[in-house]
Amino acid sequence: MKEFAVFWGCTIQARFPFLEKSSRLVFEAFKLPYRDVNGFTCCPEKSLINNVDPKAFAVTAARNVSVVDGLGVDLVSPCTGCVSNLATVKEDLLHNPGEKAEVNNLLKEVDKEFTGEANLFHLVPFFHDQVGKNIIQRKIKKTFAGMKVAIHYGCHMIRPSHALKNDDPMDPVKFDDLIRWLGAESLGHRTKMMCCGQGLDRVDQHENALHLAREKLVELKKIEADALIVCCPSCFQQFDNNQFLMIREGEKIYTPVIYFTELLGLALGLSPEELGMGGHRVDVGPFLKKWKEQLDKAGPSEVIDTELNVPGALA
Amino acid sequence: MLKSHLNFTLLEECRKCGACYEVCPSCIALPGYDPRAVIKDILEGSYEKWLESKHIWQCLECHHCLEMCYQHYGFEDAMTAMRTIATKKGLYPPQIKRGWAMFEKTGRLGEPSKPGRKKYGLPEPAKSGGDEIKKLLAILKNDTSGEKADKG
Repeated sequence: MKEFAVFWGCTIQARFPFLEKSSRLVFEAFKLPYRDVNGFTCCPEKSLINNVDPKAFAVTAARNVSVVDGLGVDLVSPCTGCVSNLATVKEDLLHNPGEKAEVNNLLKEVDKEFTGEANLFHLVPFFHDQVGKNIIQRKIKKTFAGMKVAIHYGCHMIRPSHALKNDDPMDPVKFDDLIRWLGAESLGHRTKMMCCGQGLDRVDQHENALHLAREKLVELKKIEADALIVCCPSCFQQFDNNQFLMIREGEKIYTPVIYFTELLGLALGLSPEELGMGGHRVDVGPFLKKWKEQLDKAGPSEVIDTELNVPGALA
Repeated sequence: MLKSHLNFTLLEECRKCGACYEVCPSCIALPGYDPRAVIKDILEGSYEKWLESKHIWQCLECHHCLEMCYQHYGFEDAMTAMRTIATKKGLYPPQIKRGWAMFEKTGRLGEPSKPGRKKYGLPEPAKSGGDEIKKLLAILKNDTSGEKADKG
C-alpha cells in the first residue's frame, strides 16, 4: 500500500480530538503506512470560503493537494467535507488547463505546484477498497452480531460523484458493506440519505439545524436503532451535540452516535476508554451494554464459524 | 453582475424542469425555501430582493440537485451565486464574517485543542501552512483591486 498523509481538518482537531485518537488507533492496528505532514490548512470549507471568494477557495484547496503531490504520497481524511472540497477543486483544475496554470502561477509564490497526482480518499471508502474485507475480517476480534444500527453516509462522502468517484451518489453501498463485515445489521430507513443539516448552524439558523436533526432522530427512535454510525465531524456535531441539547430541553429522542473508527476500534478489541468515547455528549453506555449482552450470548455456531475462517481450514 | 457567475442558458432549462425540488432536503424540510422562485427572478432580472433573504443561506450544498440534473447544474449553482453577490455587498450571517476573519488570520477555522491533545495522549500537531495562505490571500486581494497583475 502506498504511503498516505492524514488530513485531519479543522473540526476534528479543534473540537473532537477523540476522533483523531480512534482514527490513529485503527490505522496503527492495521499497520497502515500513515504520516502526519506539515503544511496543511483548512481544506477550505466550501460554504464559507467559496461564498466569500471562489478564487481563494480554489487556491487553498489546490495548495493542500500540492503538499501531498510534492511528497509523492496519497491523502486520507476522516472528514467527508475536507475530501469532497479537495477532490472538487482537483477535478476542476485537471479539466481546465487554463485555470490550473493560473493557480500554479500563484502557487509558485509559495514554492508549490499542483499536479493532482495524489489520490484523495475518505476513510470509509479507503477501508472498503484499499484495506478490504479479508484483512478487516481477519483482524477483528469481536463482531456486532445482533446489533441493529442506522448508517448516515454524510453527503460529502460520496458527492459530488464526478469528483469523488467512489460509490453510487444516490444509493451508496460501501459504508453498509463495512458495517455488515463487522457483523451488525444496517437498518433501512426513510431519512437514510437525508443531509444532516449542520450547515444551517454555520449560517446562524440554529432552530432550522435542530429541525433537520430531529427529522432523523425521531425516525431512529421509532425503528429502534441501537446507534447511528457516522464518519464526518460535521454530522457527528449535528447528531451528538445538537441531540444532547434537544434531550436537555426535554425532547423524547435518544440514539447514541458512534464514529466509524470507534466501531472498528471496538471490533478490534480496543476499549471505549482507549478510543476516547467518553468525549461524546450523548451517552453511549446503553449501546455498549446491549453489545456486551449480545457477545455473552454468542452461540457455538460462531465458534465453528471462526475456526472455519482460518486459512486452510477446509484444505 | 449575475451573468459572470451563472450560465443563463442552463438556468433557462432549470426553470422548465425543477426535478431536483423533490430531492432537496431544505425544500422538503424548511417552509418557504424554494429555489425555483429565486431562479425565476434571476432570469427576469429581479433577484435583488433575495440578497437579504435568509433563504439563500439555506442551501446545504449536499449536491443532491447536481447529481439529479441532466445538465449537471442545479439549485446549488444559483444559490452559490446569490450568496457570493450578497457577501460582496456585506449581506451575510455574522458567523460567515467571523469564520472568514479567522481563515484570513490563520488559514484555519479553528486551532488544534491543546488540552484535548493532552487528555487523549495525541502527538504535537503538524505545522500549519497558514503563513503561505496569508501570502496567497494578500496577492489575490491586490489582483482583484486591479492595482497590478504582475506574476513575479
